[in-house]
Amino acid sequence: MATAPSDMHLARSPSPPVDAKAVARLVRQSLARREVQLVVVTLLVFAITTAHDSGFATTGNISFLIADTMAVAIVAIGETIVVLTRGIDLSVAPILGTAALATGFLAQNHGLTPLELLPLALVIGAVMGAGNGVLVAFAGIPPIIATLGTLAVYSGVQGIIANGQEVVTLPPSYFNLGNDDWFSAIPYVGVIGLAVALGFALILWRTRFGRNVYAVGNNAEAARRAGIDVKRVLVIAYVLSGTLAGLGGLVFLAHVGSADSTTGTDSNIQLTAIAATLIGGSTLTGGKGGTIGSYLAAIFLSVALAALVDFRINPIWEPAGVGVLILVAMLADTTTGRPTLRSILTALLERPGGRP
Amino acid sequence: MTAAAGLSRARHLSRDQWWMTALAVLLVAELAYFSVGVQGFWGGGTGMLDQSEYFLDIGVMALGVGFVIFAGDIDLSCGAMASFVGIVMAELWKHGIEIWIAALIAVAIAALIGLIQGLIVTVFRLESLLVTLASQFILGSLATAIGGGYPPYGFPHSFTSIAGTGGIGPVPIQIVSFAVLGWISFLLVHRTAFGRSLVLLGHNRDAARYAGVNVPWTRVRAFILSALFAGLAGVLIAGTYNSVRDDLGDALLLPAITIVVLGGVDIFGGRGHVAGVVFATFVLGFLYQGLLIANVSQLTANMVGGIVLVIALTLKISIEQRQGGAAFAERLRLRFARSGPS
Amino acid sequence: MYEQHGAVVAPDEPVDELTELGPASGGNPDAVAEPVAYAAAGITKSFAGAVALRDVSVTFLPGEIHTLVGENGAGKSTLLRVMAGIHQADAGSLTLGGEPLTHLTPRAAQQRGIYLVPQEPTLMPHLSVVENLFVGILPKGRLPFSIDWRRMRETAGGYFAQLGLKLDPRQKAETLSIAQQQQLECARALVHNCNVIFFDEPTSPLTAHEAQLLFALMRRLRERQFTLGFISHRLDEVLELSDRITVLRDARVAARFDGAEATRDRLVNEMVGHEVKLQRRTARSGGEGGVALAVSGLTRAREFESISFAVAKGEVLGLAGLVGSGRTEIAETIFGLRRADHGTAELEGRKLLMPSPRSCIDRGLIYLSEDRGRNGIFAEVQLAENVTASIVPHLPRRRGLLRPASERALAQEAMDRTRVRTLNQAALIKSLSGGNQQKAMFARWLVTNPKVAIFDEPTRGVDVGAKADIYTLIGGLAESGVAVVVISSELEELTWICDRALAIYEGRVVGELAGEQITVARLGRLIVGER
Repeated sequence: MATAPSDMHLARSPSPPVDAKAVARLVRQSLARREVQLVVVTLLVFAITTAHDSGFATTGNISFLIADTMAVAIVAIGETIVVLTRGIDLSVAPILGTAALATGFLAQNHGLTPLELLPLALVIGAVMGAGNGVLVAFAGIPPIIATLGTLAVYSGVQGIIANGQEVVTLPPSYFNLGNDDWFSAIPYVGVIGLAVALGFALILWRTRFGRNVYAVGNNAEAARRAGIDVKRVLVIAYVLSGTLAGLGGLVFLAHVGSADSTTGTDSNIQLTAIAATLIGGSTLTGGKGGTIGSYLAAIFLSVALAALVDFRINPIWEPAGVGVLILVAMLADTTTGRPTLRSILTALLERPGGRP
Repeated sequence: MTAAAGLSRARHLSRDQWWMTALAVLLVAELAYFSVGVQGFWGGGTGMLDQSEYFLDIGVMALGVGFVIFAGDIDLSCGAMASFVGIVMAELWKHGIEIWIAALIAVAIAALIGLIQGLIVTVFRLESLLVTLASQFILGSLATAIGGGYPPYGFPHSFTSIAGTGGIGPVPIQIVSFAVLGWISFLLVHRTAFGRSLVLLGHNRDAARYAGVNVPWTRVRAFILSALFAGLAGVLIAGTYNSVRDDLGDALLLPAITIVVLGGVDIFGGRGHVAGVVFATFVLGFLYQGLLIANVSQLTANMVGGIVLVIALTLKISIEQRQGGAAFAERLRLRFARSGPS
Repeated sequence: MYEQHGAVVAPDEPVDELTELGPASGGNPDAVAEPVAYAAAGITKSFAGAVALRDVSVTFLPGEIHTLVGENGAGKSTLLRVMAGIHQADAGSLTLGGEPLTHLTPRAAQQRGIYLVPQEPTLMPHLSVVENLFVGILPKGRLPFSIDWRRMRETAGGYFAQLGLKLDPRQKAETLSIAQQQQLECARALVHNCNVIFFDEPTSPLTAHEAQLLFALMRRLRERQFTLGFISHRLDEVLELSDRITVLRDARVAARFDGAEATRDRLVNEMVGHEVKLQRRTARSGGEGGVALAVSGLTRAREFESISFAVAKGEVLGLAGLVGSGRTEIAETIFGLRRADHGTAELEGRKLLMPSPRSCIDRGLIYLSEDRGRNGIFAEVQLAENVTASIVPHLPRRRGLLRPASERALAQEAMDRTRVRTLNQAALIKSLSGGNQQKAMFARWLVTNPKVAIFDEPTRGVDVGAKADIYTLIGGLAESGVAVVVISSELEELTWICDRALAIYEGRVVGELAGEQITVARLGRLIVGER
């Protein structure tokens, strides 16, 4: 090898691909990305449904589909951060509910605008999220149990704040925020959600905290030895999850227009958010995934479920649809360990005594 | 016996035994407090027996989930399964099948679904959290679809007289069935080859494989049992309340898992004892009942349950950390280094 | 190995010679590190009752390669980990450049310039190469919270050039080979601007050529007055490279040598200790009892190829080879943990079809894993249940239910046979020493009454006393007619206990020795691919 090594193989800026093979490879690599797959499948479902019912493709409908799922999407973004650390947050439902309720009461009784109440929603979420963070990082409780406990505790808090009352009327600024759109096609909340998704994608990709989140999820012990303050990363992750759930509460309030003592938990929003996170490409074992995928997955779910309705499938099958989609998304992800018939039989038919 | 001798005897208690003693103490304290402080709790002693009717069905479900948790998996669908079985049974009965046969068929279907869940988890190497989360959704929809908005109710006397108000003497059927199922669970986990395989693979799945344990089949059996017990719980619930609902899923799931974890069973698998689950059922059950009778709202009762769970676990983990030291940290490290299922 | 997306290198290209060291570590133009001595004094450390270090004092000086040698479990890794802040010593002191270090954490150690390249690469599989290099110390960009990716890539490029690595900085770490991962760990040491660098058995997964590159790098670091610590099992490397050698045995310092005056025999003597007199097995019953295990043409892509051998009843066959040569993979395939692509194995003449661990155990073929911690013991489980773990379907029963008392008796009998020293059968196995744990594992396999036993690194992490017990056990097994296969990286051990020995190199059988021919020298040459 006569050439010096430094300019040989370190691909810093590859020359632009000009041949068909490189383009094909680029396409194949893009399609391997979950975000791209989601966009493609969403458009596909959309197209199929529109072919069946042309009324599906109105801008108003599109706007509604997006707006309707934004609370879930925002919560899912927060959930993604936690899942990246190899954790899980089951308590986002009452956090969303409490934020919706508290801000709702203030809006209903004192006429405060969404913008004025935004800090409150975020603070409520942050404080509750901090509770989770402390339990996971300092008390060492496994995330699934810790957030199971806080799910119950925060639901209780929500009930206490409700005190038997409900939020039923809101100033019109809420309805406008939650349901209006630009050009009858782009909902305000949709943009908020997108901004959050992009913002956190940036944080996760380009800041040290974000990279530390991935490091902790990949191998927490190695991260500790590399000098990362794992406890701090975990606490911040749960705080962010809570804060975003709080924001989701405000968005939910604006879109739905009401709130009560069981908002959030009654619709199991934490499970839908987790579903969106998983379908969006994040894995429960941590270290892999992203917020844009979760955002797109939330939209995909909304479109897919609406398509079911459009095809006259009873809405009671919606949860089943989500369940099936989770399984499909996970199966699509298992690139290793694809079972063969032989391995299945061996695993199951094994009997002591040596006969396979 | 001198104090020192007593203490040294005490130090030989295993971790499980320590925890169960703590639970027993908590139970006694709690019963005393409620009996004295809350009107209507004591009821001459039989009052407490009757109270237990309301939470032992969840206890049965907790026993079922326990199998899966011993293996290091989890079953989020148990609550939805109980609902589903109740609805299937009711619908079959409405269509003319004798109620007890309907119950049998419904429970058998549950076991079949458990088998399918187990197969998906082991064959496709998916996380049990995902699969049972998905099946929780699916079962919920199925239950609503089959039962419609107005599920059948008002079961025949032949059913309610046994499954609802029946019993042996003053002891309600719920206690009898919980006792029987608890005993069976104990035998299964701690006195059979299956149970030994289950616990070993929960401790260390790789080592179990190297030792010749049939890991996939054992895990599948745990899922079948969990579904079976959830189905039985569903039948019990139908009897107790003389009605079925399609949406009990979450109301049941969270207390069930809380009971298992409170009972000292390690969420990562392996460690723990069925007796702990039994104790924790009573601890948590009477806690809820006592609070409810004291006119506390359901939400607040759940909240107290959550606080108890968090405090109990914080104590447990900090004690273990003190005892285990580096070995404990090493165990956590291995846990988190394990990259996914199987 | 390189078929994954993103890889840039074809595997057959030879690795370049090292170029001149470019910009010095950390992007810092100052090429010479501040020379500093790092001393450990009186270090004692225990883990859950097992003593790992007892009053150990070692000093690492700048401009030197100071090697620690010792048997498995002697304490070498533990000492380096304590000096890198990963573990806290129970007693003793650490002094860096004259200043005492207290409450050292990994992060503090790195900030003081101490870096430990670990035995197992601790990488983040889903992150890129460049990120792994800089994890924890991502350089700040101009905007608040942002990262200077360009500077990272440039610096990474510089280090890779120094080490002769060809890695795409954007490549995901999980696509790297083991050797490349190891190299990445070494690069990390430089990136962290450290002048005290410890290497914990870095060459185990490397080929001879890759190891030479690493040594060249270490020599250059030595020239630049870095303080270097090194652990290795390969005594030839140790003798070639070291300026000073410290031998640890049974958690203490046994001897210290100057690089020049050390010889192989003296090192081995100190490592093993004079108390143990191990004798070559004289009973040669190989072949008399008939073939117990016959392996033919066993192949598994990228792991091993065309493996054929036979073991007779009562014979002890050794499999020698470097780490990564494929021996464990071969054994695990025979035992049913992996599927062979081609080839067969026969147990007493009957083919093993679609084997699984369970079916093998029930037919009398057992395998003791090399990784006791991960694949062997159930740490939080009692001794008795650990011992009976392989015979769960055959445990004594009455009417379907297990009988704990009978089971305990069974376990006790096996533990007596293998001389597990413990006061309390109900103790959790993790509280036992490494040697006793291994003997408990032997008890587990003895309980199954095997006909063929494959032991993989049977004395790893075992103190000298227990080693003797284990050799006796193995000899006893062979004498009672069991066919034994011993996989070991300790060549001396193989010369003591084996009747025949096969050398495995890069997945193939490259040589066979029998009886008196089995010597460390011959084995040593065969396993590195020489004739």
